[in-house]
Amino acid sequence: MRTFLHASLALGLSAMPAAAAELTVMTAGDQNMVDYINEYLGPLFEEQNPGHKVRAVGTGPGDAGSQKIVERFDAQAQAKSETWDTDVAVVHEKFVGPLVENSYLDAYRDRISSGKLVTRSNADMALGTNVKGYVMPMFNSQTALAYNPALLPNPPKSYEELAAWVKENPKQFGYNGIKGGASGVSFVMGWIYAFGEGDANKLMNGPFEEAETQKWSAAFDKLAEFTTNATLTPGNAGTLDLLSRGEIAIGPVWVDMFYSWQASGQLPPEFKLVLPAPGMPGQPMHYVIPEKAPNKELAEKFVELATSPKVQAEGIVKRFNWYPGIDAQHVQAELDEETWNKLFTDVTPEDLASYGKPFPITPFNNAILEAYERHVTN
Amino acid sequence: MTNDTPNRILGLLLVLPALAVIVLLFVVPLASSVVGAFRVNGGFGFGNFIKSYELYTSDIIFTVVIVSLSTLLIGIFSIAIGGYLVLGENPRAVAILRWLYRWPLFIPFIVVGQVLRTFLAKNGLMNNILIEVGLITPLQATSFLDWRGIVIAFVWKQTPFVALLVSGAMAALDRSTIEAARNLGASRLRILIEIVVPQVATTLMVGLVLSFVTMMSVLSVPLMINAQSPTMITADIAFRINAYGDYGVANALGLISLVASGCVGWFYLRQTLRERA
Repeated sequence: MRTFLHASLALGLSAMPAAAAELTVMTAGDQNMVDYINEYLGPLFEEQNPGHKVRAVGTGPGDAGSQKIVERFDAQAQAKSETWDTDVAVVHEKFVGPLVENSYLDAYRDRISSGKLVTRSNADMALGTNVKGYVMPMFNSQTALAYNPALLPNPPKSYEELAAWVKENPKQFGYNGIKGGASGVSFVMGWIYAFGEGDANKLMNGPFEEAETQKWSAAFDKLAEFTTNATLTPGNAGTLDLLSRGEIAIGPVWVDMFYSWQASGQLPPEFKLVLPAPGMPGQPMHYVIPEKAPNKELAEKFVELATSPKVQAEGIVKRFNWYPGIDAQHVQAELDEETWNKLFTDVTPEDLASYGKPFPITPFNNAILEAYERHVTN
Repeated sequence: MTNDTPNRILGLLLVLPALAVIVLLFVVPLASSVVGAFRVNGGFGFGNFIKSYELYTSDIIFTVVIVSLSTLLIGIFSIAIGGYLVLGENPRAVAILRWLYRWPLFIPFIVVGQVLRTFLAKNGLMNNILIEVGLITPLQATSFLDWRGIVIAFVWKQTPFVALLVSGAMAALDRSTIEAARNLGASRLRILIEIVVPQVATTLMVGLVLSFVTMMSVLSVPLMINAQSPTMITADIAFRINAYGDYGVANALGLISLVASGCVGWFYLRQTLRERA
């Protein structure tokens, strides 16, 4: 028995490859993120770097997925592990700040060639924390209101108009609250930008002040009344589902999900998007590399490939209808006109520039969510 | 005596792995969760409970009411099913019912949630059938994806479990009491309520208590059918952790649902102790 154990141990050790590395990519988000790495990015990387393997690990959708990555890093930092189990992680914007503040991450952006193709401010600041150098945006996504032109030929162009319209047309607007996915959260944040008595710019850029959180009462009372006239949907997909079945006429959705559903025929082609004034939030997802990643050099190569104009065009814009992570003009050259125009038909680049907002900085974000629970749901 | 001591040690050694598993996997996490519920900013206090009260009172009440209502309905339906299996006079109907009623037992909660989400939606299968048959007009169709959906899911999933226990107990009864009542001219409903149910009350109670505790812990059904307001405590616990990374309030909410389950659990223990005495 003992010899058998020893033999199998020796066999196991010798079977571990010495030169060929396995690159572990941990990603938050829906299954499509894991598929994207397994089916597209991984094989492409393995082709360019023969002998190495890419292994994608999905940690689950939404903030919960990123939270799991953070907890994993916390645990390894507390255990004082010399090398961690992750080479590259993909996390939501909200979680990048804490990761940088805890010095878990490597500042790699200036070392890779695609680093200078990013100038958008959300690659430097993540919800109030300076993360310049530590992150490369994988893509930018945006929320907007999707509507059914058959039921609603002239959609409201602002939160103000929407509130008035919903009063006259009860139950025709649907959103998923704050517990069923980020499109509902985004709608609530936009509501506070629009109707909160404080300064919306302070919510987005900080600094956090307790006094600011007291200025939302009237806005939340209005939202509570608004919500009694709204249909509550089960989740991001739930809103699109109800839209497609004509149960609601308008509701907040993620732009990329909207286009993907349209492309697969789950939504009628005539449905449209509108980005209401004064704006709704969107967010990037970021590639990060832990300071103690086992294969740092390979990890940098991987992110370099993933943020190259070609991959951003092919993978991010064409496959997923996401807005590119690196600056758009570098990507446009790699794309045919049709694909490019499709992404910007309903929501023009000008709309995006003036009404595409970031989420509030983390402490305000949490305060708004909790105030929503206090005022609207309890 | 000399032979006894090594035996005792051996016995302890044999029990040790099982004991270690219980302590490590059950007692320690439970204790740390209970302690975590009272931990506020490094110290100890009731902050998490105050916040739970401020934010989630309606959800706590909602959970207890929903689960109690479901338990009540499960009790009624399982008595009806068990009663028909024992007292039914049409052998074919009894055979069909016996074959059919257990099916939901083998379906996981998440699948129940998913099935009912498409079945109960405003333009779902149920309303489409009702409209097709002419019972309601399309304008009257409403979505059942709120508290009613949760109750329907729970009752549908848990009734077979209790019915299985109850019908087993009913089948094991001494038939002579039933025959005697029937000879004296009692109706079947009266036999069920006055003769059969009192004799299987303990089994029924145990089944209902176990169902109550199971339903308190289900996350998938409220998430899929109605994660909005008010929703069940489990959905709030998941939200506290996922959105805020706030384990304190999540632990406090967990403790609150533990207390609710504990109350019925205490009932169950008292019942079994009385039986053994």
